Amino acid sequence: MSHLSAETVSVAFAGLTALSAVDLQIQPGRISGLIGPNGAGKTTLVNVLTGFQSPTEGAVKLDGASLAGLKPHQVRRKGIARTFQGGRLFRDLAVVDNLEVTGVGLGMSRRAAVAEAEAMLEWMGIGVLGDRIAGTLPYTDERRVAIGRALMGRPSYILLDEPAAGMSGPEAAELSALIRRIAHDLGCGVLLIEHNVGLVLGLCEHVVVLDSGAIIEEGAPAAIRNSEKVRHAYMGTAADTEPPVEALEVAQ
Amino acid sequence: MTAASPTMSAQAVPPSAVAEHKPARFALARKTIMTPILLSLLLVAIAVLTYLTGSRPFNQTVIDVFVRVTLVVGLYIFIGNSGVLSFGHIAFTCLGGYAAAWLTINPIMKASALPGLPQFILDLRLPYWQSAVIAAIFAGVAALILGKVLMRLSGIAASIATFAVLAMINTIYANWDSVTGGTSSVVGIPIIRTIWPYLIGAIIAIFLAWAHAISRSGLALRAARDEPTAAAASGVDIPRERLVAFVVSGAVMGLGGALTAHSVGVVTPDTFYLGLTFITLSMLVVGGMGSLSGAVIGVVLLSALIQILRWMEAGISIAETTIALPKGVQEIALGVIMIVILALRPSGLLGNREVTLFQRKRNR
Repeated sequence: MSHLSAETVSVAFAGLTALSAVDLQIQPGRISGLIGPNGAGKTTLVNVLTGFQSPTEGAVKLDGASLAGLKPHQVRRKGIARTFQGGRLFRDLAVVDNLEVTGVGLGMSRRAAVAEAEAMLEWMGIGVLGDRIAGTLPYTDERRVAIGRALMGRPSYILLDEPAAGMSGPEAAELSALIRRIAHDLGCGVLLIEHNVGLVLGLCEHVVVLDSGAIIEEGAPAAIRNSEKVRHAYMGTAADTEPPVEALEVAQ
Repeated sequence: MTAASPTMSAQAVPPSAVAEHKPARFALARKTIMTPILLSLLLVAIAVLTYLTGSRPFNQTVIDVFVRVTLVVGLYIFIGNSGVLSFGHIAFTCLGGYAAAWLTINPIMKASALPGLPQFILDLRLPYWQSAVIAAIFAGVAALILGKVLMRLSGIAASIATFAVLAMINTIYANWDSVTGGTSSVVGIPIIRTIWPYLIGAIIAIFLAWAHAISRSGLALRAARDEPTAAAASGVDIPRERLVAFVVSGAVMGLGGALTAHSVGVVTPDTFYLGLTFITLSMLVVGGMGSLSGAVIGVVLLSALIQILRWMEAGISIAETTIALPKGVQEIALGVIMIVILALRPSGLLGNREVTLFQRKRNR
């Protein structure tokens, strides 16, 4: 069974521990969730998985083979894609060119890349945006284009870093539907990193909760919802309050 | 070309039929080719007008303009697409200029002036256009070797390192007396006074820049200029794409150096140093770093301005009196005008736009 995994990954910045002995596995066609309060180390873990940050200890493995020493563009060429918080589109380029860059980065000709970029935008239902300059897009479209850019060349895995940040309820629901299609129709393994706990619990089969760089809980959404430790990590206190699941209804 | 890993090759993602959507061959080239054509026509028009007036000094001025177009377009290929400011490109012009001198000076003069050259070069005497091609290749190879190291750096570190390259090459050429003549002038380079070779050189530079800009490498490099992190996450090997642009632009700078050498017949290390670096960078910045049209139009406009100021310094006769500006006004006025343009339009006159006949339309 193919999989992308982090094995006892630790990262320390100048003595400060950002991640300690984290284990995580993503499988094609499945949606996994990664949640945790601010500063828990979620983005650091994404950076480790995509070659932007080398782990101080432990390793990232693709189908059992270590990815140590690979640069970010080489990791992407292995079929591990990611998005960024805040989109990070190529602002001066047209939307279709934004997608085309990934195609070209993966070795396609520009003709092939344009064809796939246009087909991808259609598949995502944003074909009309193709000619727009990326810098002029509203926030939510920016996120969708960023996901489209990451999906070019059919990656085996996609890591979505807070794709729903700043989205309204209905927009988040649309995003959920898209993420389901990415996993089921494209067979892509998704790791969803989100602050919107409701969205994650509604979508994922498996959820990992990170706090202060360590995994404090993992399991099925139902187990996470009822976990005392998770409640504590989020609220800073025990028991009496519900976890922030305000978007739960919308997401489902 | 780097091969994509087998896990994610060819089959296009979405279920929808992709093949029928594939744009026609050369669709991209056809869509963008008006820009180099229009820019070339602008230069052809200037050349024809100059030819018709038949004035010798004006002829020389226009030759200088075409040489500078070549140089500034060469700068644009790297700086415009990568967003990395390079102060070192005139070093490649220096390499090109001296290479042209080595290959075209009369062997008898060469043996006495530059005795340190290898025998086969001492014996050689090539026509100017062959020497120009070899000068361009020589500069391109030098850019490849230096770029291998430099392109790993980014931002301000890369800019400073390019400046170091300029200083290094200048020092070598100013001191290696037996091969470069040291600080004294190398004379005897055949002077080409007709305007057409320079026009062709500039047009070649423009088409090379266009071809690079629409290539896969050019697109990837512009993406990396906007968002390096996201470009890397898109599979773009940034140092490699920068190196490609560096080599192409280095070769064009070398061609410009050969043209410079043949336009004046003399080279010195100082011809290819800070003064030329400053003027060419200003022209690029004023026209708009992000656009090929900006590079060409920046040269034409600033050159026209310099020429007008020169005439005014020389004096204009109205009736009996001659009105002349004090010497040095040209440099000062140029500086002031540059600052004003940049204050009003920080991304240059053309910004990121290109001149073209049609509105840019994506499909078909």
